[in-house]
Amino acid sequence: MSEITVYTARKIRTMNPSMPEATAVAVRDGRIVEAGSLETLKPWLDAYPHKVDTRFEKHVLMPGFIDPHLHPSLGAILLPCHFITAMTWHLPDRVSPPVTSHEDYVARLREIETSMADPDELLLTWGYHKIWHGIVDRTVLNDISATRPIIVWQRSFHEVIANDAAIDWMKLDRAELERHPQIDLASGRFFETGLAVATKSMNPYLFAPERFGKGLELVKKAIHFGGHTTIGELAYPLINDELEWDILANTIEQDDVPFRMRLVPRGAGPGETDKAVERVNGFQSRKTHRLSFGNGVKLFSDGGFFAELMQMQPPGFIDGHHGEWMTAPERLEALARAFWNEGKQIHVHCTGDMGLELALAILEKLQFERPRFNHRFTIEHFGASTPEQARRIKDLGAIVSANVYYLHELGEAYWRQSIGYERASQMARLGTLESLGVTTALHSDFTMAPALPLNSAWVAVNRLSESGTVLAPEERISLDSAMRAITIDAAYMLGMEDEIGSIRAGKMADFTVLEADPWETAPEDLKDIPIWGTVFEGEPFPLGER
Amino acid sequence: MRIPITLLTGYLGAGKTTIINALLAQNPDRRMAVLVNDFGAVNIDASLIASRDGDTVRLTNGCVCCSIEDDLGTALDALAKSPHPPEHVLLEASGVADPQRIARHAGHWPGFELDAIVTAADCETVRERAADKFVGHLVESQIRAADIIALTKSDLVAPGDAESTTRWLHSLNDDALVTDAPHGRVELALLLGPRPGRPSPPAMPDQPHDAFRTMHWVPQHPVDTEKLSRLLSEMPRAVHRVKGFFVDARTGQMTLLQQVGRRFRFSAAPKTAAPGLVLIASGPDMDLARYHLAFESCQSTVPSERV
Ligand SMILES: [Zn+2]
Repeated sequence: MSEITVYTARKIRTMNPSMPEATAVAVRDGRIVEAGSLETLKPWLDAYPHKVDTRFEKHVLMPGFIDPHLHPSLGAILLPCHFITAMTWHLPDRVSPPVTSHEDYVARLREIETSMADPDELLLTWGYHKIWHGIVDRTVLNDISATRPIIVWQRSFHEVIANDAAIDWMKLDRAELERHPQIDLASGRFFETGLAVATKSMNPYLFAPERFGKGLELVKKAIHFGGHTTIGELAYPLINDELEWDILANTIEQDDVPFRMRLVPRGAGPGETDKAVERVNGFQSRKTHRLSFGNGVKLFSDGGFFAELMQMQPPGFIDGHHGEWMTAPERLEALARAFWNEGKQIHVHCTGDMGLELALAILEKLQFERPRFNHRFTIEHFGASTPEQARRIKDLGAIVSANVYYLHELGEAYWRQSIGYERASQMARLGTLESLGVTTALHSDFTMAPALPLNSAWVAVNRLSESGTVLAPEERISLDSAMRAITIDAAYMLGMEDEIGSIRAGKMADFTVLEADPWETAPEDLKDIPIWGTVFEGEPFPLGER
Repeated sequence: MRIPITLLTGYLGAGKTTIINALLAQNPDRRMAVLVNDFGAVNIDASLIASRDGDTVRLTNGCVCCSIEDDLGTALDALAKSPHPPEHVLLEASGVADPQRIARHAGHWPGFELDAIVTAADCETVRERAADKFVGHLVESQIRAADIIALTKSDLVAPGDAESTTRWLHSLNDDALVTDAPHGRVELALLLGPRPGRPSPPAMPDQPHDAFRTMHWVPQHPVDTEKLSRLLSEMPRAVHRVKGFFVDARTGQMTLLQQVGRRFRFSAAPKTAAPGLVLIASGPDMDLARYHLAFESCQSTVPSERV
């Protein structure tokens, strides 16, 4: 047994309602011995050798933040890109400042181009959004460079724009590109199914081991940077188990990595449902110190929210298009039944109110057939919903892991162009869930939203859209609920609430060290609270120089 | 020349796999690749299997059957790069795929082109499915996108039900051919189109679709594509497919014509191809004679100097 370390702090927000505040926490062998004050800790300190570490005297300690739904592999592809974004992105190695006009966009891109040493290296930039950056097409990009391949990746990933050098770089037959209805060579745009043709050429570059490895290093930093000590990878594997496990085990299972990762396997796959159960159960015994599989399984209902492929109940979308199912409803039901009867915690990706309706209809059937308590059927994302569905979530005992950032980034765009004000302003209906007492967590689904828990909490508490309008103030939640949603309630989503999520005797000694107390900060400034770093299993990890 | 893709759509349980199994069992007349979503459901007679490698099965008749795994583009690229690329691809769309979207995706993938959209519809359940709150729209969109609708399990319903289902299908998609597919069997020439430039064997007596007729026409002269386009766009619904080569009178180029339902396109063809068109239609022989005459009249009266 090691010596006890006592961390004292200006304040410790324990997120344990029975003792919400403390000023000292004793830690031994990575776990919390006791939280309280130097006086209340005395019986332990009298009994065992200890040292008092006062480095956090001016700081506020919280339980280590938890993002219960984040995709490191996607982040590894994105982070090595040059960011030019309409909104500020705080990244571990840089800040992408807001660029909100066409002129500034072009100037920034030109600046990046001139800064690159190798004249033939591909310039891949992410974050372009027409609403802010106007028309950026082949001609504009050719003007920046006629020789360097430049590819602009649109903010929601659904389009790329290429200059002539980049079209040549793709090494595709121009005649084949010309006949494609979703490739416009004149403007250099590749969209929807045309995008797949471009990504075919980009993939070897995006997944090149060196680039991907560098990307994962950046993801590690980004996770630390957000103040996380635990994340959930909510659809494992992305493509290839063997390869990804190998990479994860090598990059995450390192002494310098200050977080752990709970993996939730994909439920769907080839073959009958019993095969799926067998496959998912096969993961359960796999474990390293930082990587583990729990009792969860991930299923998918409707399509992506950023892609406007969520399934909406009538009256649907303004332009009349329809969303899509990621899994055929009967198949989803069969899979859910198999996993339900196996005693699994089922996470269902639901984005539109019809996607949610399907998930709830299935849960209703399963509860009728074989009632379960504490099943933690989790609605993931929770884009559009109705108040009545929120109540059914409560009645059926389901819980919610929400991507509240949708509201901030898409609230206004979807109000004006997609589903109208009423439903767009009420996406991520968290206030209703709070009043119903539904356990709710916040996630980033990174790269869909920045991997910054305080930023997610800030959206949930303020409901500010990108231009600063408050959308459905009735659905704002209290600071208490928002902070629970990134700590103890997020731990509950991952089935890890006995180990992490609050500061109490026996739990892992994971802390997020803040420069200010969220409860003493104006709600609109919540996202700007500086993070000193984290303590992971008792060991301090400062963020250090950026 | 691009490799044609026939897209097979239809909701879960509509009979797509049955159609694929029947196709593989009836010894296709060309080198086929069948791309399926779930390998487990495909049922290939062991005597037909030449070799098996992971998710690819090679048949003794030269066909291959593989599962799409994650990415359609990757699967198509692998086919195109193989030592013996297929002459035709049958692509099974996932039950929840938007047929127009996947047709655009596959039909414009470099090196490939769309032949036709075939939608499987289960005679017993399709109308119920089309009224379902969750999948109704999807099932309808699969029917609306079809060039050919293969009606499965029509042998299991009460007499008259198949006819009323056919009427209902036509109310959603008047242009599509609705054809019976007992035990998943759809006549090859209908499903994949006739092989261009080579007369298909005469209909076998046991073929279910004795109502189908084929007509062969070998143009003696270059063809006026404008006249031909006009003729093709006015073809009656009883004409299901037209395919073959002719010499374009204007350019002197050998040209491939492919028509499914009311959709047709011309594309450049190798010089060495032999002129000849095959037409598949239902209806009396008398009509075939009329089509023949109509095609004859599309020949250019001014012989091209290059031919
Ligand atoms: Zn996700």
